[in-house]
Amino acid sequence: MPELIHREIVIPNNTEYLAEVRKTVKEVVDKSRFPVEEANRIILAVDEAVTNIMQHAYEHDLEGNLEIELVLEVDNTKFEVVIRDSGKSFDPNDAEAPDLEEHIKNGKRHGLGIFLIRQIMDEVIYSYKQGIRNELRMVKYAGGKKGKVKENKTG
Amino acid sequence: MPAFSIKTDRMDGKTTLLNIEGFLDAHTFERLEEEINGLFAEGTYRLVVDISGVDYISSAGAGVFIGAITEAQENGGDIVLVNPTPNVLDVFDLLGLTQIFQICKTKEEALGAFR
Repeated sequence: MPELIHREIVIPNNTEYLAEVRKTVKEVVDKSRFPVEEANRIILAVDEAVTNIMQHAYEHDLEGNLEIELVLEVDNTKFEVVIRDSGKSFDPNDAEAPDLEEHIKNGKRHGLGIFLIRQIMDEVIYSYKQGIRNELRMVKYAGGKKGKVKENKTG
Repeated sequence: MPAFSIKTDRMDGKTTLLNIEGFLDAHTFERLEEEINGLFAEGTYRLVVDISGVDYISSAGAGVFIGAITEAQENGGDIVLVNPTPNVLDVFDLLGLTQIFQICKTKEEALGAFR
């Protein structure tokens, strides 16, 4: 049987809990064969995705929870995270890639998190079921990309 | 909860040293932003930022530096970063910021980096 590590946490819509999210992701990826640098990047990508949901789907101050499910396939060195929330529809794939030079010139910051997620994760799949919830699924494989950014809206 | 602190010291008549420790993420970045904006409001635009004690940075944290460097440079100053950990340096690399920011090994080297 392939070894699977599965963790699930539920956090309120509050950036105070980002440190707890990172700690939980670290506990999982530390059990993988991802090199340290890649493991740290995965932690960053999850942080960025959760932060985006707090900023866009929940617009900072709305009450709500985020369910974060982590699955590590130890033998395949495949990490998967699924983040579910019931905020506004927010598809990170819709965001334009930032022009970093322009950002720096104008002191802009938006889009940087999505830029990082796209660089780090191999798959970023968003789905929205009206009136139910948003679901963002991100996958990282050992040794590089096996998939592309996809979009799948339903409901 | 993670510790996050900023300490500000004068280095010379024109330059201010910021020592940052802890996590610089979407929860803590506003404290750094307020500190830098306060220094700009006093006319201090030459900043040496010691980030050797920053264990983690996300785009929200890096965004503070992006938001501030142009204003600093337009006013005759700069933001020079000192001794990032490999983890923090990797995030700067991913964002392409190592091409934009001067990054020094020591505070003394940073003082000499202002043009």
